[in-house]
Amino acid sequence: MIEKNNNRLGWLFASPYLIFSTVFFLGPLIWSLYLSFTNWDLISPTYDFVGFKNFTKALGTPGVRSAFWVTYKFMIVFVPIVTAMSLFVAVIVKGLPKLKTVFLIGFFLPYLSSGVVASLIVKGFLSHTSPVQTFLRERLGLDIDWLGGSFSALFVVAMIMAWKFTGYYALILTSGLESIDQEVYEAAAIDGVKDSQRFWKITLPLLYPAIYTTLILSFGATFGIFTEVYQLTGGGPNYATNTWQMEIYSQAFKNLQAGYASAIAIMAAVATFISIFVIRKILEMWGKRNGWV
Amino acid sequence: MVGSNSNIKLRLSIRYLIAIVLLVIMVFPYLYMVLNSLADWSQVDRKLIPTKFTLRSYQWLFTGGETGITRPWIHAFFNSVFVSLVSTALMMMFAIMVAYALAKLKFRGRDSINNFVLFHMFFPAIILIIPNFLIIQKVGLFDTYWALIIPKAMSLWGIFMYTNFFKAVPDAFIEAAKLDGASDFKILYKIMMPMSKSITTVVFLFLLMERWTELLWDMIVVRSDGMLTLNVLLSQMFGPYQAYPGPMYAGAVMLTLPIIILFIIFGKKFQEGMQFNLK
Repeated sequence: MIEKNNNRLGWLFASPYLIFSTVFFLGPLIWSLYLSFTNWDLISPTYDFVGFKNFTKALGTPGVRSAFWVTYKFMIVFVPIVTAMSLFVAVIVKGLPKLKTVFLIGFFLPYLSSGVVASLIVKGFLSHTSPVQTFLRERLGLDIDWLGGSFSALFVVAMIMAWKFTGYYALILTSGLESIDQEVYEAAAIDGVKDSQRFWKITLPLLYPAIYTTLILSFGATFGIFTEVYQLTGGGPNYATNTWQMEIYSQAFKNLQAGYASAIAIMAAVATFISIFVIRKILEMWGKRNGWV
Repeated sequence: MVGSNSNIKLRLSIRYLIAIVLLVIMVFPYLYMVLNSLADWSQVDRKLIPTKFTLRSYQWLFTGGETGITRPWIHAFFNSVFVSLVSTALMMMFAIMVAYALAKLKFRGRDSINNFVLFHMFFPAIILIIPNFLIIQKVGLFDTYWALIIPKAMSLWGIFMYTNFFKAVPDAFIEAAKLDGASDFKILYKIMMPMSKSITTVVFLFLLMERWTELLWDMIVVRSDGMLTLNVLLSQMFGPYQAYPGPMYAGAVMLTLPIIILFIIFGKKFQEGMQFNLK
């Protein structure tokens, strides 16, 4: 039953969101579409319409091309590492009779770090005089310029992210593991499922919903990389870690190309949207094909 | 059961051992930060575990040492506290209000708003940063606390979490309270809130942490020294203080310790809440 009173009250309670989304979501969305067709430089009072020039120009620059590919490179490195690490933590911690909460909270603590702090620590770790670098140099004869190499710089940033997210995902996976009934394993043992097959035949199918969640979260996280890259590499060396956010920040707030940066932001949003959609579909197909969902 | 009693015990102790080693590795970067902030300068970034300690880094941080240039670390710390708390409080308040409407008030247009919230939540926010910056500039809020608070006063995820939670609360509670003459505000405050303690802990801590460690937005909408948040200040000094890692670690401790202490205090509640909400 809809009371008249409830109608007004409903809108009243929802009004903060409606106002907010008009001012900070719908309005800006339209504005940024409009800006992307201009050559505005964030300062001058006048600007011209340039049609699709910003978009065609962006497609040819190393900054935008790298932003497009770097995101997927981060995925290839970050997602398997963080998934394996969090799964490992979850398997070790699940069902521990004592101190389980202490462990789970402890593993979660890296998630609280600011990217700036994580970058600072890693920079110290990898500085020329650091114990890690000294050891590698003097004992193993390895003199690695971690942030100077294309792959190593990407790897370092991906590892910072893996450090940060492992505990969070482990929390999700642990509760997924604990929801699996112990009797399923016992029944399987009677049916002759070998220990070595247990993970693939029982655990993974029953854990699928939790793994699906952590995978979506981790794929999504790669589209938001900014702080660590901004702090440690500035997108370099030679664009090797230049993420979408980094590119947009550089163009809009360093080069003051508001129109051009808006065009890049739209391209980034489209790439993000399509990628996430495709990844979801693939994960869902993976689950359906194996009969896990 | 498979395996003897002692076998099970052995397995368990191996798991504890691995868990402890892993935990030490994962928490080590924090430990490294704290120890280096207290280490003698001859040992900063030179030893895995420093052996000589001093408070020089903290003293240097606040006085600027031989450079004689002081940066507003303490002021920035309080900026961070103020902005994070106000911002998070608003996010919580609005999330609860809006979620109550979306979950428990029957009104025309509710389903559309519900769908729109989901659309908004999954929309790539990256596109909004330039126009939102321009809005702040146009309305004259650049370089004010408002710029740090208002655009960060609404959390889609918060609305989403509370809406799902409120939906699971039986309508009978609300109808009974209404028969007793309670208003919707009162129902929200007296019935829904006490029932949502577990989710409130989780949402509050996540939102606070996110706000506390925000960089990009806080970096572009303020300029003057008096407005910097601690995270932005630390980020700014990355280059200039390159030769002074000790004080930088001290600044990092200032930024990290409060939020970690908060989590350890609420840790048990947080973990229970997570467990609850993941089911």
